Amino acid sequence: MAEVRLDDITKSFGNLTVIPELNLTVPDGSFTVLVGPSGCGKSTLLRMIAGLETPSRGRVLIGGRNVTEEEPSRREISMVFQSYALFPHMTVAQNIDFGLRLQKMPKLEREERVARAARILALESYLDRKPSQLSGGQRQRVAIGRSIVRNPKVFLLDEPLSNLDAALRGQMRVELAQLHRSLGATMIYVTHDQVEAMTLADQIVVMKDGRIEQVGAPMDLYDRPATEFVAAFIGSPKMNLLPGRSIGRQDVKTAGIRPEHIRVDGAEGTWAARAEVVETLGADTIAYMSAEGIDSITVRLPGHMRLKAGDRLFLTPEPANLHLYDEKGHRMEARA
Amino acid sequence: MTRANLIRQILRIGLLCIIASFVLGPLLATVLGGFKSNEEIQTSALSLPAVWRTDIYAGILADPGFWRYLGNSLIISVATVVLTLLIGAAAAYVFAQIRFFGSRMLFSYLSLGLMFPFATAILPLFVQVRDLGLLDTYWAVILPQTAFGLSLAILLFRTFFAELPKELFEAAYVEGCGYIRFFWRFTLPLSTPILATVGVFVFVQSWNNFLLPLVVLNSREAFTWPLGMMQYRGEYAVEWNRTLAFVTLTILPAVVFFVAAQKYIVAGLTGGAVKG
Repeated sequence: MAEVRLDDITKSFGNLTVIPELNLTVPDGSFTVLVGPSGCGKSTLLRMIAGLETPSRGRVLIGGRNVTEEEPSRREISMVFQSYALFPHMTVAQNIDFGLRLQKMPKLEREERVARAARILALESYLDRKPSQLSGGQRQRVAIGRSIVRNPKVFLLDEPLSNLDAALRGQMRVELAQLHRSLGATMIYVTHDQVEAMTLADQIVVMKDGRIEQVGAPMDLYDRPATEFVAAFIGSPKMNLLPGRSIGRQDVKTAGIRPEHIRVDGAEGTWAARAEVVETLGADTIAYMSAEGIDSITVRLPGHMRLKAGDRLFLTPEPANLHLYDEKGHRMEARA
Repeated sequence: MTRANLIRQILRIGLLCIIASFVLGPLLATVLGGFKSNEEIQTSALSLPAVWRTDIYAGILADPGFWRYLGNSLIISVATVVLTLLIGAAAAYVFAQIRFFGSRMLFSYLSLGLMFPFATAILPLFVQVRDLGLLDTYWAVILPQTAFGLSLAILLFRTFFAELPKELFEAAYVEGCGYIRFFWRFTLPLSTPILATVGVFVFVQSWNNFLLPLVVLNSREAFTWPLGMMQYRGEYAVEWNRTLAFVTLTILPAVVFFVAAQKYIVAGLTGGAVKG
């Protein structure tokens, strides 16, 4: 069992408090993604779980054991870094079994584990190469290989895909998901990319300014964003956030509606709008439109609807899919 | 190639030749001097010898004293290099990796050593070496040379070590590798360019050092080659041809060492300039 629990974690650097009093439980075997804009404290949080930073206050528990004061190597975790941090003067095989050598594991077992990791990650023919002779995706796989040979209870991944190009990122995303399924270990993954969060996670933790905005399954966050920030952060294209008065509600500060939840009609509707920019993606068409009292509203249309910039249309938000937020940015439960 | 380019090339090569001649001219005169008679050296120092005399070189090579001086110099220089690299790298590693109270002040203090002229310290050094009972031993030269070489070594090492990615240490640390093991297994193997650079500086400096051995070594047994060379200076006459032949033979190891490490030196000096 390797549940990760953070109890009242606080982290300050001098006078600057990066994370004030945070509580979080990462269930055993889950794929939890910490997501948020840069500087929100998600990497710091991960580094505290790894043991690379010590919390100013609070406790870190891994598998029920208090490891707050424990050395990283004794926490039964492994970490994959954004820059991979491969050891440049060692071969792939040496990189992968470095931790095992430090543990003084017998040679036979080491070779067996390296071979197994290499098989899982399709690195068998590269074991004698140096990292400089590998491509980006291969380096990434070596970094993952280094972390899986130790059979850790928890995998920590710090933006592991951000140095890869878009095509490779998509492919590695699939591989990571498969890896998680086959290993069954707990994985904690940090990213600022909400697409990665949505596609990989069983549990997403959205962070802002060191605080947790919302924790939940991807579709929960998508369907019921708890705050205005989460509403804007999760989903692509972004949710439209409009002033309450645009839907005729004075008690509502902000009304959110996702681009796919807006009905389009040629003759009648709530807003009379004009298409400003139209992006044709094939399956979808994304139209950026303007309406009276609304600067910009994004609408997702089926791909077969041909629209040109300058076209005039009527838009109607689906009432069931309106998200309402009060002055503090908190979700209001009463639907419109 | 255009005409302007051609002229520019010729000018550049000409300039380089002039600069090279400043270095190679005296060197050539030294090498050739070993083949001439003393009179010929006095009258025409730069010309080719009228008669190629090989007995001077042969005489020096056959002299057991020469080999002893060379051996002494080699032991002292190698020991100085090893000690400077080890101590300097270890100290610089601490400065680059660990932030502790007073580290900046301590580092500035060490860097002050760069401005301290060696010759001024020679008398206190002699007294100290004598009190420690090290006179006429290799340590009398090795230890002070190491001490004076450290400022430059630490300065260069620290800059280089600080540029090693921090994540490298963190990755090793998560795997269970501590600071000391990281130093041996990562910092040193990844720093060969700067180790070679500092090593060559220290080696050449030690190899050519005259003042310190002169003061602390009195026994002929412990003489380094610059001291050994002095035997050809009599009270009334100087045997220039022997001296020049001796110099030629003794700078050879330093040149060989330099050529061997040259590839790394260029990398070491420009290493910090560009990321890559």
